[in-house]
Amino acid sequence: MTDTMPPSETALQNNPSRLPPDMRVSPSTWMRKNLFNNWYNALISVVAGVVGALLVFYFGRFVLVTGEWEAVRKNLTLLMTGVYPRNEQWRLVAQMYIIASALGLTWGTVTAQSLDRAEDTGVEKHRPTPIDLLRRYWAVLFMLAVILVLTQTIWPTLFTLSTIAVGLTVRSGAMRLPRSARQPCWYAAAFMAIVSFQVVSGTNGNAWWWTAALAAFIAMQSTANLETTVAWHRTALRIGSIAAAVVVVRIAYWLIGDTSSVSWDDWSGLYLTLVASGAAIILSFPLALLLALGRRSSLPVVRWLCVTYIEIFRGVPFIVLLFIAKIFIDFFLGADTPLSLTTRTIVVFTIFSSAYLAEVVRGGLQAVPKGQIEAGQAAGMQPPAIMRLIVLPQALRAVIPAMVGQFISLYKDSTLFAFISVVDFYRARELIHSQQEFTTTAIFETLVFAAFIYWAISYTMSKESQRLERHLGVGER
Amino acid sequence: MTNTATNTSHVDSDATRIGGRELMVELSGVDKFFGAFQALSNIDMKVGKGEVVVVIGPSGSGKSTLIRCINRLEHHDRGRIMVDGIELTEDVRNIALIRKETGMVFQQFNLFPHLTVIDNITLGPRQVLKMPKKQAEDRAMELLERVKIPEQARKFPGQLSGGQQQRVAIARSLAMQPKIMLFDEPTSALDPEMISEVLEVILELAKTGMTLIVVTHEMGFAREAADRVIFMADGEIVEVGEPEHFFTNPQEERTQLFLSQIL
Repeated sequence: MTDTMPPSETALQNNPSRLPPDMRVSPSTWMRKNLFNNWYNALISVVAGVVGALLVFYFGRFVLVTGEWEAVRKNLTLLMTGVYPRNEQWRLVAQMYIIASALGLTWGTVTAQSLDRAEDTGVEKHRPTPIDLLRRYWAVLFMLAVILVLTQTIWPTLFTLSTIAVGLTVRSGAMRLPRSARQPCWYAAAFMAIVSFQVVSGTNGNAWWWTAALAAFIAMQSTANLETTVAWHRTALRIGSIAAAVVVVRIAYWLIGDTSSVSWDDWSGLYLTLVASGAAIILSFPLALLLALGRRSSLPVVRWLCVTYIEIFRGVPFIVLLFIAKIFIDFFLGADTPLSLTTRTIVVFTIFSSAYLAEVVRGGLQAVPKGQIEAGQAAGMQPPAIMRLIVLPQALRAVIPAMVGQFISLYKDSTLFAFISVVDFYRARELIHSQQEFTTTAIFETLVFAAFIYWAISYTMSKESQRLERHLGVGER
Repeated sequence: MTNTATNTSHVDSDATRIGGRELMVELSGVDKFFGAFQALSNIDMKVGKGEVVVVIGPSGSGKSTLIRCINRLEHHDRGRIMVDGIELTEDVRNIALIRKETGMVFQQFNLFPHLTVIDNITLGPRQVLKMPKKQAEDRAMELLERVKIPEQARKFPGQLSGGQQQRVAIARSLAMQPKIMLFDEPTSALDPEMISEVLEVILELAKTGMTLIVVTHEMGFAREAADRVIFMADGEIVEVGEPEHFFTNPQEERTQLFLSQIL
């Protein structure tokens, strides 16, 4: 790269001979060049065109005319939330709003950060327009539209639209916040996401402790950076904020006075699929990081432990692990073990995923040039700081596509839950056909619907990973 | 045959001083092996405070290995290395101390591509010296002024030219307020038109009285900036001398051969 700047736009316009030649071609030219440039390509084009048209026609006719979508329509609640108690479903709606706000907050913060960075570095970055967002998320929006078309009352549509509205409002609010509010925004989003699960499972008993502990941690973190000259002020501030967080949470829970609870084993349907794969993705990531670092450790014991873990869980099929989680734990701890089947499933899912992810991360670690570490060493940095601030950021960036690929296959592996009769989305689809009405009918319809839902979410994940990759690569060599 | 006594003006009877200067770096009897290959053999070298020492020699002669031993990017297998009175041993505290006092500029710049220029410069001071962010950034801006690219502060290394990147790397090393700067072929990866802008910065640094050890192939620079020139071949120090004397009247046959090939 050199210092020389490209000539300005106006200079170019004044001198047409210096503009790049116009490479646009008319549709007919394009077709002649790319589809019919010789007789066998023309033949292939015609045959492929006919077969494609027929497929589109038959599939379109099936979806729009002949398909009997009654099975999906009647069982939409079963597919979405499975056996979650019907009279407690307000909890899921409430969680939807909270998660939407958390996502809006995160999204707004991320966008604002990248706009800041664009401003600082002079790398061009245009604000995403509604058209951009539509193009980015069309698959998932289309999926929502299809689901809503199949609903029988107006409420789900209203809830969904208002959720989206809440998310977008919070997002645009978050983008207007000053730079100093960025860090607290992250904390707030994480807090909301975790607390939303308390709403779902009910807040009776000692559940408030979890929230209080989290709130205290966040309070401690956000007061840690305050610059005061007197040391005991800082200590007092810390203790005070922790105590305040605990008290506020306790009072809030007392005011809410929610005494009912929903067992985690009642989580099911698409909801469980999303929660279990989301949890496994989020939890397996730090675990995989530790395993990958451990595998490169200079301490033989750590290294061998990590290698053993990785090789064992990569060598055993996921379904075997699932059965171990179901049967062995019942066998050893008794059927009344407090570990719910959902918990065990998520734990096994995380363990399984982390073993694969660790290898992906290790690949990234190896891709970071040695000179980067040497530059850190030469500056006198300690190995943990070099790893955290220099090697890992680069290593993880390098393996984003591989990691998201891993996440997508993980998400689809959740279909295996059906084998241990955890009611995930796919198992919920099977349950439809255990109903008298649909034992032999509409099987293809429900399959197409299931395939469509899995595809729409996977596709959006993969598209987002491509965008993330581009976005993080800004201004790098 | 290999000792620092070729030029008598630099030998003092006092073991802690050299040429009237305080002793900054001292290597005695240093050997370094890569497997069975001997990269350095029996290196004796003294560098005084504020001295500018240029190391030249054919590629593979051990120049880079020599200066990489001084801040322990490579460990030496035999002999003794003292930096500012601290001995380099397996003791990680000593290594940390010495690395804090020595800055290094690499042939391939080794800037952190995921951080902006200013973050590249402030990372060390904030992490190692525990400098507050504001102060570190102010200092970084001063240093960027000094290397004449303050306007690039918020850009990423990948957006800069090679010469600019190397100047950022120099600023990054200086931000640690080192007593010694090690330059490992700082201009070898640069396009010809960018070499002079980097050498100018190093030259100015030399005038400030900082101790510099520079491995380079730029003979013009060696002539202008060096207090002493060290010629290495096959892992040994062959000849040491003041630049005038060294370039006009080399004593050793290998030095004469090398100089005739490159000049």
